[in-house]
Parts: sequence; C-alpha cells; structure tokens
Amino acid sequence: MGDMTVVVGGLRLKNPVIAAAGTFGFGAEYGEIYDPARLGAVCTKGLTLRPRDGNPPPRLHETACGLLNSIGLQNPGIDAFIREELPRMKEQGITVIANVWGDSPAEYEQAVARLCDSPVDAIELNVSCPNVSQGGPVGEDARRTARVVRRARRACTVPLWVKLPPAGGIAVARAAQEEGADAVSTVNTFRGMAIDIETGRPVFANVVAGLSGPAIKPIALRIVYELAGALTIPVVGIGGISDWRDALEFIMAGAHAVQVGTANFVDPLAAVRIVAGLERYMDEKGIGNWEVIRGSAQR
Amino acid sequence: MDVVEARVASNVRVAAGVFLLKLEGKYSAAPGQFYMVRAWARDPLLSRPLSVFDRDENGISFLYGVRGRGTELLSRLSPGDAVGLTGPLGNGWPQRAGRIALVGGGLGIAPLYYAAKILRNADVYLGFADAPYLVDEFARVAARVLVSSETGAGGTEGVVTDIFRPDGYDACYACGPLPMLAALDRVCRRAEVPLHVSLEARMACGVGACLGCAVRTVHGYARVCRDGPVFPASEVIWDG
Repeated sequence: MGDMTVVVGGLRLKNPVIAAAGTFGFGAEYGEIYDPARLGAVCTKGLTLRPRDGNPPPRLHETACGLLNSIGLQNPGIDAFIREELPRMKEQGITVIANVWGDSPAEYEQAVARLCDSPVDAIELNVSCPNVSQGGPVGEDARRTARVVRRARRACTVPLWVKLPPAGGIAVARAAQEEGADAVSTVNTFRGMAIDIETGRPVFANVVAGLSGPAIKPIALRIVYELAGALTIPVVGIGGISDWRDALEFIMAGAHAVQVGTANFVDPLAAVRIVAGLERYMDEKGIGNWEVIRGSAQR
Repeated sequence: MDVVEARVASNVRVAAGVFLLKLEGKYSAAPGQFYMVRAWARDPLLSRPLSVFDRDENGISFLYGVRGRGTELLSRLSPGDAVGLTGPLGNGWPQRAGRIALVGGGLGIAPLYYAAKILRNADVYLGFADAPYLVDEFARVAARVLVSSETGAGGTEGVVTDIFRPDGYDACYACGPLPMLAALDRVCRRAEVPLHVSLEARMACGVGACLGCAVRTVHGYARVCRDGPVFPASEVIWDG
C-alpha cells in the first residue's frame, strides 16, 4: 500500500486532502456525516480578531458549473473559536489549519499571535478574500502581501501558509516566499459578479463576489502549475476540485496537497471520497509515495 | 443526517408547474424538516432544498414548483430514476400542544401536510394564486381546511390572510411568501398567538457550514438551513 502522508510547509498530513476554508465551518456539521479526522486537515472558516456579522443577503448565486458567494467572513472571532470550537476539533483528532484575515498588517500580526498561543497546527493567512476589502484583496499586490506576511511571520511559531488570490501572479507568491511563508495555497475564489436582469442591478450588495466550483478548475490548475514551477516552497492546490481525478491533476501540476471547497456542497462526502479515490489510485498504480507523481507535468 | 441515493416511485403534476415527487424507501424526518435533493451531476451545481411534504414507512415525498433549471430537471424524473438525498435537515416545526393553525401560501403549503398529519386536529388555511391543489389530501388529515384563491377559483376570493383569524389558537405555523408571513406576524402579534414561520433561502451546503443562507434576526444573522428553516416570527427582521 502506498504512503498517503505528505509534509507541506512544516506540517505533516495523513493524506493530501484538506477541507477548504469557508466551506466546512469548524467541522461540526460535516462531522455528523463522517469523521473529519479522516481528512489530511481542515481549514477553519476565515477568522478575524473580532467577531464579524458578514455581508447582507443574498450571499449566493449559482452560475454555470460554478457558485458566486459573498459571505463576507462571518465568524465568531478568534477568541470564541479558541474557546468553543478548537478544543472539540483537537479532541476529534482533526489537524486544524486556522484561516485568518486582518484588515491591516498589525491586525494580522495580532491575530496570528493569538492563534499561536492555541493548539492550532498551522495558520493560513487569507490575503485573498474577494468579499471584504476595498480595491481588491491584499494578495493582488506583492508589496502589500510582503508587509502582511512579514508581520505575521514575526508572530508565528507554527507553519505559516499564505492563501493567494488567482490574480496575484508569481510576483506575489515570490513575495510571500521571501517573507518566510512555509507554503502558499491557491487559488481563492475569482472575483466575479452577476446582474439581476429584472432590476438591472448587481445581485450582490458588494457588486463583486467570489466564483468557485468546477467552472474555475482549468484556470486554477494553470496557476498552480505556474507557481509550483516558480517557487521553492510547497504549493497547495485549490480550485474546483470535485473528485480524485481533479486532485491528481493538481498533484501532477506540482501541488503537495489539495483543498476541497465547493465540492463539499455538491456532495457532502466529496472530500472523503477523494481520499478513498487517491488511495485506490496509489494501490492500483503501485505508487509508493506522492513524490513519484508530484509535478510530473513540469518535467 | 444521511447521504443516500433514492429511487423515484412517482412524480405527478398536481397543478400547472407544481409536482409531487415520491421516493421509495424509509427515510426519517420530523414535520418541517427538509432534504437537499439532486438528480444531476454538476449542472446545476447545487442541490435543491425541498421541504418534506409527507413520509411514511414506504417512502417520502416532496412538493415543488418548477422555477429554474434544477426544478425543471426534477419535473422530468420518471419512476425508477435515481435521486440524491441529504438529510433530514433543519429544525422542523416546534412540538406544541393545543389548537394549532397551519397557514400556507402557494408552495408554502409544502411543509404543512406532514405537520397536519402528525398533529391530527389542526386547522389548515391554504392560499393559492389560482386553482387550488391537494385540498382533498389536506382535508383527510386536518380538522378543517379553508381555501382562498386570488382568482376566486375553488376558494374564497382573496389571499390567505383574508380568511385566517388567529383568535382561539394556541399557535400558528406558516410558510409562504415573505409579505404574507410579515402580514401574519402583525395579525398574530395583535392576537398574542405565537407564530412560527418556515423560511426559504438559496442554499449551498444545506448543513450549516457555508453561511450562505443567512437571514436577519434579532440575534443577528441566522442560518435558514441549520438554525431554521422554522423561526419564531417575533425574531425575524422582515425588512432585513
């Protein structure tokens, strides 16, 4: 049997399948269907220092093979997470990656410091939420990204991943790497929009919303391929991964691990089905570990 | 909560653009709960949240209107076809004793039938835009059924709030368009009759993880799928 484990930017995972931030809550809901500890890790809902209400409804709009969302980081705040959610997650044996957003470099630093006093296994800096920032997410700008990662790195004593938007390009990813990120995860949702043709107005109060789902997979795969070829730190592939074949494509593009997001909504068992599919693939092909095929498309 | 594949027993058109889908098998549900339903691969992407219309030892049924691509695909299902089910989901109607009024507008009648069946002695008020449907079915399980129709076809001409008086009831459970529910809230408040409303929202996950189906309440945003779909009307912010 092949070895499913993988080490990603200082974090050891039992398999390369991670539940993506914002799609899995804190694991309690899907925990009623299967044990989230079967996944490589769970990324928490995006956390902020203070609780956030999130955006006004509507927050969802379905598109062809995709989903626009404008949740706006509704979350109970880091302290409530540490007090009420994290103990249960750790008790269940879940590898916990805390996804964090701040509205300034100082706030990122404070948030990271707070989380590093808790038993989270890693931190994923969210510099790519399309639904909260004015003038585009920090992660679309290399200098702003560098500032945030520098401050966060200073406070961070656990593996630090940086979740990048699709529009950041190699320059932003390199900036994260140079400032000491242990890994980058990409892509967050694409900035998209929809218009209500009855009213002639944008569907979402914020106009722009984040597009996810199978519709974005080929573009996400291309971005992961490019970053994996340009960086020395690991890349975690995200974007429209629906089944084990999609996951395999991202690994072959060079990803050390993958995150499954919108697919959880399509099939609540999607993430564990991907784990099972990858296991079967390893066995059938007689592959001993992920290094055998990781980045095969780069060679 | 289970994720299962069910088989279509029947899929009957009960009115223009309204279908009753029955699935074979034993599925649990409390009155007012719902399932995420799908009968397609990735297009449309999401499942559709459908209230449980009825259930028994042999099957479960859902009443739905054809509104978009998803429900249009559901309407084409034939006996024997496969349907993906996740559920039961949501909180369902509260379990209260006493005289209960069930008030439904249009497809809002969907989560009321199973409630009427379990309650046994409820009065049911059904409002339709045009010709009523499933009235005989409701009559078999309810103490009394009163019907309104905006065109006057098959019922008292008007809307359901014209035929419903809250006096004498210990509670009222309602589902329908927001303006109807807001109007009921005003009427029930005046009569001091507790009103519980089942809300509808676009949903992605259906289980409470994505926070997409937020509705404003006096306690802040609540998840229709998890904290609801049934809410005390006094907690809902109608213009939210």
